[in-house]
Amino acid sequence: MCNQTVGLLQREIESHGISTVGISLVREISEKVKPSRTYFLKYPYGHALGEPFNKKQQAAIFEDCLNLIESIQEPGIIVDSPYHWGIHKFN
Amino acid sequence: MVKDFFNKIMVALYRIPWIKNRWAQNFNAQESDTIPWTPLLKPLSHCKIALLTTGGVHLKNDTPFDMKDKYGDPTYRKIPSSVALKDITITHDYYNHKDADKDINLIFPIEALRDAQQKGLVGESAEFFYSFMGHIDKHHIKTLMEQTAKEVAHLLKKEKVDIAFLVPA
Repeated sequence: MCNQTVGLLQREIESHGISTVGISLVREISEKVKPSRTYFLKYPYGHALGEPFNKKQQAAIFEDCLNLIESIQEPGIIVDSPYHWGIHKFN
Repeated sequence: MVKDFFNKIMVALYRIPWIKNRWAQNFNAQESDTIPWTPLLKPLSHCKIALLTTGGVHLKNDTPFDMKDKYGDPTYRKIPSSVALKDITITHDYYNHKDADKDINLIFPIEALRDAQQKGLVGESAEFFYSFMGHIDKHHIKTLMEQTAKEVAHLLKKEKVDIAFLVPA
């Protein structure tokens, strides 16, 4: 439900003239709610930025999301993160 | 008591990817046909940014989110962007926040934002960030969509925020 709430909030904020990006942990819900720009991670709930104290992972995810605000040129795009849970190494 | 026990079981089950996926496929989400769009008109480094989380984050001295109503709580809490991490906590019984309790950045990436600002990747922070408790169902969805989400959007607009970064739990 958190992912739906993010999408609904995101839509409202975007419609007030503010560019938004949201993380999604449940792709199916984002596909239905249709926020403007979405970064999808196949991560467990409560771990949208990854593992605790993994600063490199958190920075990589955060900066990827920021860049989407500039790079996505049409509404409703969902970008799949390349960082697989427990597999990708952040150096 | 029974509700607490049921919640704990559900929270544990949703950590299993197969169950999470099955639930997501059957979840009756609020569907939309149109998609709002505000193109970015200036470089990120000149943009004022606000963070929003649905992870139930709030100041320790603020009112916790309502955990008694099974349909959730559509209200929000303001968090100053200058907040010290030791002054914030989580009230949200619908996901396992053991790791986020240790490192709030997992659902409220305030340190990643401050680091990005140090690197010059994004502009200044809004004075306030906002937090919801994402478990919002039934009639509370209407309150969220017709009242509280609009209020927050207005507050962000009033502060001349250019970009909003939203994180779920």
